[in-house]
Amino acid sequence: MNSPLCNVAEHQLSRRQFLGRSAGALALGGLGGLFSVEAAEALKAEEKQVLFVWLDGGMSQLESWDPKPNTLFGGPYRSIPTSVPGTHVSELMPRIAKQMHRLCVVRSLCTKDPDHSSGVPRIQRGDPKNRGVVYPFFGSSVAKLMGPTSSNLPPYVVIKEGRGGFRAEDAGFLGPAYGSLAFGEGKPPEDLLRHPSLTESADEERNALRELLNKRYAAQHRPTVTEASSYAFDTARELMKRSDIFDTSHLPTRDIERYGGSEIGRHMLIARNMLEAGVRFVKVASMGWDSHGDNFNSHASLVPKFDAAFASILEDLAASGLLDRTLVIAMSEFGRTPRINGHAGRDHWPNAWSMAMAGCGIQRGALIGATDAKGTEVTSEGYDIGSVFHTWFSALGIDSSTVEFKHKGQPLPLAHEEMKPIKEALA
Amino acid sequence: MSLPRLNFTRQPILPAIALFCLAVGTAWADELRDQIDLRIDEKARSRQVSMAPASEDAEFLRRIWLDLVGTIPSAQETRQFLKDPSPGKRTALIERLLADPRYPVRMAEAFHVQLMERSGEDEGWMKYLTAAFEENKPWHVMAREILAPDFQNEARRSAGFFITRRLEKVGSQQTDYPGLTRDVGRLFMGVDLQCCQCHKHPSVGDYKQQEFNGLFVAYQNIKLNEPAGATKVKWFSEGLVTEKYEFTSVLSGVKGATGPRVPFGKEFSVPELPEAERWQVAPDKKTKQGGIPKFSPVSSLAEGIASVENPYFAKNIANRLWWQFMGRGLVEPLDLVHSDNPASHPELLEDLSAALVKQGFDLKWLVRELVNTKTYQRSGRLGAMKEAPSEETFAMAMERPVSAEQFARAFLEATGEFERVALTREWEGLAEKPLVWKTVKASFTNAFANAPKEPELRVNPSLRGALFLRNNETVLWALKARTGNLLERAAALGSPQAIAEELYLSVFTRKPAPEETELLARHLGKAEDKTQANAEFLWAMLASTEFFTNH
Repeated sequence: MNSPLCNVAEHQLSRRQFLGRSAGALALGGLGGLFSVEAAEALKAEEKQVLFVWLDGGMSQLESWDPKPNTLFGGPYRSIPTSVPGTHVSELMPRIAKQMHRLCVVRSLCTKDPDHSSGVPRIQRGDPKNRGVVYPFFGSSVAKLMGPTSSNLPPYVVIKEGRGGFRAEDAGFLGPAYGSLAFGEGKPPEDLLRHPSLTESADEERNALRELLNKRYAAQHRPTVTEASSYAFDTARELMKRSDIFDTSHLPTRDIERYGGSEIGRHMLIARNMLEAGVRFVKVASMGWDSHGDNFNSHASLVPKFDAAFASILEDLAASGLLDRTLVIAMSEFGRTPRINGHAGRDHWPNAWSMAMAGCGIQRGALIGATDAKGTEVTSEGYDIGSVFHTWFSALGIDSSTVEFKHKGQPLPLAHEEMKPIKEALA
Repeated sequence: MSLPRLNFTRQPILPAIALFCLAVGTAWADELRDQIDLRIDEKARSRQVSMAPASEDAEFLRRIWLDLVGTIPSAQETRQFLKDPSPGKRTALIERLLADPRYPVRMAEAFHVQLMERSGEDEGWMKYLTAAFEENKPWHVMAREILAPDFQNEARRSAGFFITRRLEKVGSQQTDYPGLTRDVGRLFMGVDLQCCQCHKHPSVGDYKQQEFNGLFVAYQNIKLNEPAGATKVKWFSEGLVTEKYEFTSVLSGVKGATGPRVPFGKEFSVPELPEAERWQVAPDKKTKQGGIPKFSPVSSLAEGIASVENPYFAKNIANRLWWQFMGRGLVEPLDLVHSDNPASHPELLEDLSAALVKQGFDLKWLVRELVNTKTYQRSGRLGAMKEAPSEETFAMAMERPVSAEQFARAFLEATGEFERVALTREWEGLAEKPLVWKTVKASFTNAFANAPKEPELRVNPSLRGALFLRNNETVLWALKARTGNLLERAAALGSPQAIAEELYLSVFTRKPAPEETELLARHLGKAEDKTQANAEFLWAMLASTEFFTNH
């Protein structure tokens, strides 16, 4: 089903097979603690998905979504027209320019944190009001609110550079069950395949015994550890069943080339396969965007890689029809200073920067907000990350003004309660 | 009359019954353990929290073995302990395990995990830690040897791994000097001063910019050197510090300057020496080897941090040992000790640190006191309680993580393969490639240890661990019947009752309940291959929460 000849009918067939196969299977995740059970059930029934592209370190808005050629801080690159008349992007993104009619670009982000160490989690947790709890990353929130799709695959998967594993800390107060499953270097976890000496039935048999023993133990102890353990083993079981999707060693060369042949390209291709297989939330993390020195050469190298990967996945998701129910996001923890420093670099700039969205619930071909001629400040209404979170929840059909998390009996809003979605961004 | 060994500065107001215990109770030397229980009981009572009863012998036995010698007892050992009618058998066992050669190894591993946070391994460092716990070196001496290593001293130079590992460049990243500075504060004083590099802490009033920079002035000035000559390990040399370090707050723009300074404490003045007299050993320009300055901020800070005059030093180690044996710090998080974040039992933390100071930072003494308390020996089972009391009351024993090392040992011990793997004998006659301890430990660490720099503080079941237990070669290797191992012993037993008892004593350090024997009997009843069925049941036990936690 992961054929490079991406045939819509085949995908639909595969999805039906998934539905049949997983009926009655143990649901991962869960929907406890929501404002309304009916709302939760309705959400679960919808097969909306998310692709979250994270450009770690801070992509320069001036070398991507908000170019200012021939200005004081504009840098050496030109801007080019796009598939949306009147909208221009940096010449470093020629393929994305052709996808602009599918995208919604926000040029008026105005956030608070100029540091990586605090800014990265702050942006990804939505920076709500401080209530003395650690908020979940967006992926964990979606895993909690929507659970796995009917594929029953793990709801929150991250494809990243470096080490993989299960990252409980993403989940904050939601608890380790809603953490992410990270594929380090795009590789599946070790020991994924059933050992040749085991038959499937013997494996199921012993696993059922383990559950029985755990149940006895849990009756006499605090429930958290056993819950987390069951979650880990259940996820392992579902992953082992679908190890074919996670086998990333045989990606078609043609696809790899179309996606740019780069690391982010390969990771984006794996992401496409996972979305097609039914993973609820896929995050692709690309590192190395922190260009304090030599900003222009590093963006000349990085942006085209992102361009090929991101444009390709948009093409594929649109072709397979998945884009209609997949929310696509590309962003960093902040933008970069218009002012060019002494090392030909750009520093951290949360005051005025850009991001892109597409897919379900999102206005197509939209351009929102503007910055001044030098790109230093937002001239329209500025949006903080809280507004962006409300926008995402709305796009997924979750009313973040009424739906709440519950933590130890305390109701907690999904996002900053004094902010509202960016209306023009919503379809 | 001899003086009491302990002298608590502030006596609490105690309920009558507690006073009675103190007045006629045990000897003075045992006072801290009693004092701990009084403090815990008093608070629980005032909050009307119901307390779990004392642990059963089997529960205690597994816990104390994991904590003091890093593994579980054999079935034989468990049988003997459960049978032993003597009232003092727990205390006697504690003494025996404290004297066991595996005690220093266990402590070394626990401290290694805590101090290095899985960011690197080094044989010399482990040897140093093990030797230190073997001779029960006082903590302030260890801390000074770690923070100001003597690279000329063969026995002690590997203590420098704590710093040298943190000086190494990872990938294209430069040396993380702020990270090293932060870790010294976190791990030796329980204060995370990270924010104070650039400005005063936004929410913690105690944490000011000078606290971070007083450490940073020393640590940003050292340089990693490759092994050379008689120094067979990587080592660091210190540059000159001739004036105070200046800093500016990025928030307020306020400027400040500090010499080397123990956070919240003493600032060392920077001596004004004529240029010719600044070096004890001048740097060698030819070999590019660093020199030894007369004024060493690193050594000054090591002395100043690991000192009775620095109250944070004693509090930190008391809180960390408490966490190690009780599952939760008196102050949480462990590295956020400050005046607006009081301990759950503030007087108790004072008692522990005062006692530790009085005892000259004798860690084994404190460990002995902790494990002899009723608090430590309380049951971790709900029993008649409807729900668990909140953790910070310590009214019920907590589930604690079993480290990758403990898990690997307990796994091999349970399956009856430890000797074969650790001692590499008994391989003759077996048509298998010998499996050695180092390999087993590495594969368990890979599966169960946290990622580098993520402290291992809580039980953390992971997908990686689950997949490892399900499919890994090493795990499945131990689930084959082989001369002398558990599955072979079980196969030789006829009845499900006998098999269940052997399995439960070997793996869970307890006898099976009737329903558990029944479960095994049913499982065996429908199986054609009994050995295979035993192996399945054994796997389920090894992969269960009961085995995976120290409870």
